[in-house]
Amino acid sequence: MPRRRRRLASRLRDYVRGLLAFLFSNVGVIVLVVAYTIAGSFMFQAIEGGSERKIDNQMKRERENLSQYLWQNVTLALNLFNETAVKERIGTELQNYQTKIVRAVHKGWDGGRSSPQWSFSSGFLYSLTVITTIGYGHLSPKTEWGKVVTILYALLGMPLFLLYLTNVGELLARWFKCIYALICLCRGCPGFTRRRAARLRLQYDLSEAESIERPQAWRGRYPGYPDSDVTPEFVVPPMERYPPPRGYPRRADYMRSVSMPQPPPPRDYRPRAPPRRGASEPARAPSPASSDFSYVTFDAQTITVPISVCVTILVGYIMFGSMIFGMWEKWDQLDGAYFCFISLSSIGFGDFVPGERVYTPRIETSFIVCSMYLMLGMALVAMCFNLMQEQVMHYFAGLKRAVKRLGRCKR
Amino acid sequence: MERHHPLSASFHGSMRSRDSSSTVGSDAREKIKDCFRKFIAFMFTQVGVGALVVCYAILGAAGFMHIEKDNPDEQLEHVRQLRKNCAETLWNITITDNLFNETSWVFKVNEVLKVFQNNITAAIHTGYNGRAAEDIWSFPAALMYSLSVFTMIGYGNIVPKTVWGKIGTIAYACFGIPIYVLYFCNMGKVLAQTFKWLYITAHECSRRDDTLFEDGEMQPVKRKITVPSTACLWVISFYILTGTIMFGAWEKWNYLDSTYFCVISLCKIGFGDFVPGANIVDSAGGSHLKLVINFIYVLLGMGLVAMCYNLMCEDVRVKVRELREDLRNCLDDITLKITVCMNDTKYYHHQKNSRNVK
Repeated sequence: MPRRRRRLASRLRDYVRGLLAFLFSNVGVIVLVVAYTIAGSFMFQAIEGGSERKIDNQMKRERENLSQYLWQNVTLALNLFNETAVKERIGTELQNYQTKIVRAVHKGWDGGRSSPQWSFSSGFLYSLTVITTIGYGHLSPKTEWGKVVTILYALLGMPLFLLYLTNVGELLARWFKCIYALICLCRGCPGFTRRRAARLRLQYDLSEAESIERPQAWRGRYPGYPDSDVTPEFVVPPMERYPPPRGYPRRADYMRSVSMPQPPPPRDYRPRAPPRRGASEPARAPSPASSDFSYVTFDAQTITVPISVCVTILVGYIMFGSMIFGMWEKWDQLDGAYFCFISLSSIGFGDFVPGERVYTPRIETSFIVCSMYLMLGMALVAMCFNLMQEQVMHYFAGLKRAVKRLGRCKR
Repeated sequence: MERHHPLSASFHGSMRSRDSSSTVGSDAREKIKDCFRKFIAFMFTQVGVGALVVCYAILGAAGFMHIEKDNPDEQLEHVRQLRKNCAETLWNITITDNLFNETSWVFKVNEVLKVFQNNITAAIHTGYNGRAAEDIWSFPAALMYSLSVFTMIGYGNIVPKTVWGKIGTIAYACFGIPIYVLYFCNMGKVLAQTFKWLYITAHECSRRDDTLFEDGEMQPVKRKITVPSTACLWVISFYILTGTIMFGAWEKWNYLDSTYFCVISLCKIGFGDFVPGANIVDSAGGSHLKLVINFIYVLLGMGLVAMCYNLMCEDVRVKVRELREDLRNCLDDITLKITVCMNDTKYYHHQKNSRNVK
């Protein structure tokens, strides 16, 4: 009885530790990104707010100059009864004025809007477009300090956002895989796993060693990194090629690359106490009672999600965004989809930009939804890239094996 | 020109390694065959990907030019109408008003001008540019546009107006971005290898001099050399400096603006408030050469960024590993000390107790 309680306690401690790691890695990164963006918003507001008023005044003076000029040089100097000549003269003056307006707008003047350009929400979205490298460009720094600060801000912010992307993308990929396994492949159905496990075990026994190599290699990798209770991203950096562990068979190279984007199978850091700490505890990884359970979680991470599902998710997300933005901005469906695509692929032309409703001085729900849409969308794209890359690697490995087998056949 | 350099360098590297590894039984013909095979592989992977990217850009430029050029420009017509209306109202004011009351005339004209100005600003926000579609979509500009689509820079100084242009852009990006990512990874790998080889050669040269002077022979300590991050940063900043000077001279930007442009481009942010194409189109003479250089600058810069990313990742990984080892050593040390201390105190207590007992 006390032994059981102790096991429970250790499990509880593990859960708490996992929760803490989760908070520090994922939630911490999200909070860091948001805080960085808010700081950037205040900074750019302080830097750029002054210059905006200046250019506003300048355009006002320009307009007054023009009307004065018209009075002096057109109405007074020209013969008033020659209508066409006067109109022509006025037309050329207006054209000059128009080019001036165009240039001023390109320099960042925003004539039509009554509210100031650099409010909190617009500053926030500006900082967000900098660190996500979308860069709409409808708002851009005009002062020298603004430019310098933007450069520095981008240099510091982009790695941060990259961290956010890999972290959250991986997390989402893991969750999505679990959901996909549970719902679409019916992994949650009772009896399914046992049957499947039995079948697979049979296959493993029958097939060549290369299918079995993978779990063995994984297991063999961990003694090299005994303190796997630090954040798992640290131990196996995602998206990187890893130097092969000693004793790793050279042949299963593609296998390693298949497993590349995903972290070590969850049972290795979640439900088990690290062997160093819990020396009194028997490491109970492969105990027969829990093997089925662990097999399920293991299995959920090894399945690959088909590309079509990823594409469907992305298209659905874009359609959802196009609906929302179309409702706010009165864009038609194509324009909304175009805007969402251009934003999420981080191209960011800036010909369609959420307007008055999002960039108000007050903080409204639409602003929050817009920034959430962007941040979540980027993470979703990263997730889909993760999954798709995995799937493509899988296909590629299969193709390679098939070709190899074909070559062996010929000989 | 740029392509040639990594090629020769990587050749040297591979040849050297092969020579050192297999000295026995190396047939000349075998070597040549191997060399040839490697050359073909190189052509197909690195040069092939580069050529693919360039071809894709040219293809896209031609396509977008074709789609967008014969777009009847309603915007231009609309603005012309606005101007006409404004002139009309001004004339009306002049006719109807008392001409000798200057302040009221000026006031009214000011009102009209304000309305006109707001209309123009609204037109600009919906895409009016002051130029006709034929002027905008010249071939160099279209090339720059397709580059900005698939590299995800997205300057946005020229944008598609037609429905088919928008759909085409989406499709073009869907296929172009993977190709570009391929190019990015490939170029990054090649450049990283080249740079690493260069760095290691330079490093060994300098160290050999030192050791020769010291004790006449090299130390057998064979550590794996990683290129430090600072070297990457130097390369990147040198590249940006080159770009700064180049664009500053061509576009008459000041140095801050031109640095800003280079950083914003290489970071793929691409605000589009400074775009070299805009001015290049105006000056017809020699624009193509400048544009091609610009194109290559951006494309090569992306490769360099990829290289630095690769190298810095490696460096950071090594540093983290070292740090962790250090930390572990430190922890072990501390635990050792603590246990020793505990033992000491235990021993002390024990002695004390025994003395007390005594």
